[in-house]
Amino acid sequence: MPGPLPRQKSDAWWNRDWPYRIFLLRELSAVAVAAYVVVLLLLYGAMASGDEDRYLDVLGHPAMVALHVVVLAFAVLHTATWFRALPKGLPLKIGGRRVPAGMLILASYAAWAAVSAVVLAVVLVGS
Amino acid sequence: MTTGATAAGTVTLEVFRYHPESDEQPSFQSYEVPYREEWVVLDALNWLKDEVDGTLSYRWSCRMGVCGSCGMMVNGRPRLTCNAFLREFLPGPIRVEPLRGFPVERDMVTVLDDFMGKLTEVKPWIIREQEQPIEEGEYRQTPSELADFKQFSMCINCMLCYAACPVYEHEDDFIGPAALALAQRYNLDSRDQGNAQRQQLIWSDEGIWDCTFVGECSSVCPKNVDPAGAIQQAKVEATNSFFLSFLPFTPPGMGR
Repeated sequence: MPGPLPRQKSDAWWNRDWPYRIFLLRELSAVAVAAYVVVLLLLYGAMASGDEDRYLDVLGHPAMVALHVVVLAFAVLHTATWFRALPKGLPLKIGGRRVPAGMLILASYAAWAAVSAVVLAVVLVGS
Repeated sequence: MTTGATAAGTVTLEVFRYHPESDEQPSFQSYEVPYREEWVVLDALNWLKDEVDGTLSYRWSCRMGVCGSCGMMVNGRPRLTCNAFLREFLPGPIRVEPLRGFPVERDMVTVLDDFMGKLTEVKPWIIREQEQPIEEGEYRQTPSELADFKQFSMCINCMLCYAACPVYEHEDDFIGPAALALAQRYNLDSRDQGNAQRQQLIWSDEGIWDCTFVGECSSVCPKNVDPAGAIQQAKVEATNSFFLSFLPFTPPGMGR
């Protein structure tokens, strides 16, 4: 007599539903973030060699602007998805009580805003 | 009598059918089921089995989200059919399938041997190096110590998290969300001393490191167990332990 139907594996799992698509985009966002690190390293290299004008020309190219838009979108997704995921790996307890997940997420955004403000201040004061 | 008791026609159920003695391939069969506002998908299946086709096979028991038997795919998502109301899926059709990622015994009845084996492997019970004599009383625990693991102890083994997990679907060796969450539940229990015994398996590739943190296991869990949280916390512990092993001393509060 034939046995049970073997378990099925589908290569299309990632396109089943939005949570799976967002997971895949979250993982892909690391590539965009890494790509931007390369752009920044090229900037530092150009600054070190005194070749800033040519670098600025390259930055102004429409393809470069498009890259920045894409990287920004991925960076926002990266930040939002990982901040949302943070409380799962960090069961912080203060005074024997678990800090609510929402508080941890808010604190992450606050820390992000604070660091961004410091960076902005350094850039504005330095220029 | 609630207003929901008034019949508003029927709703179509597309039910997965597979009988190994007669079917080479599974198929879907459509049934018209009376629509009742207070009916859940399980009520509709029970009506079908009683009134239309007695060969329809599926598991169920408590009808109140406690026993964990009636998990099925409802319109592509893992649900306990006892808390999936027909009214959520109007106007239909409602597609009912066995939980994804498991072999199918017959209709919606899945084979759970793989999970049962893996569950035993993680030793989900309290392990003591030495039992304290009964005269010394119970092992006491503070509310804070209880809170560390209570959430992970609410699991009813309904398998919805396994059906939601693409890693379990593709990796035959992956221990999976519920079993890993239960391992973590005992590791976090202040009365337990079995951490070292579970570690080798839990911290292996087949354990927490196969998990890519999709997070759907926690989204579909009907008891808010949060297996994804349990696994990520175990990853943090494993990573800390790895780096701390290079130190010549154990920092305060880090040893367990």
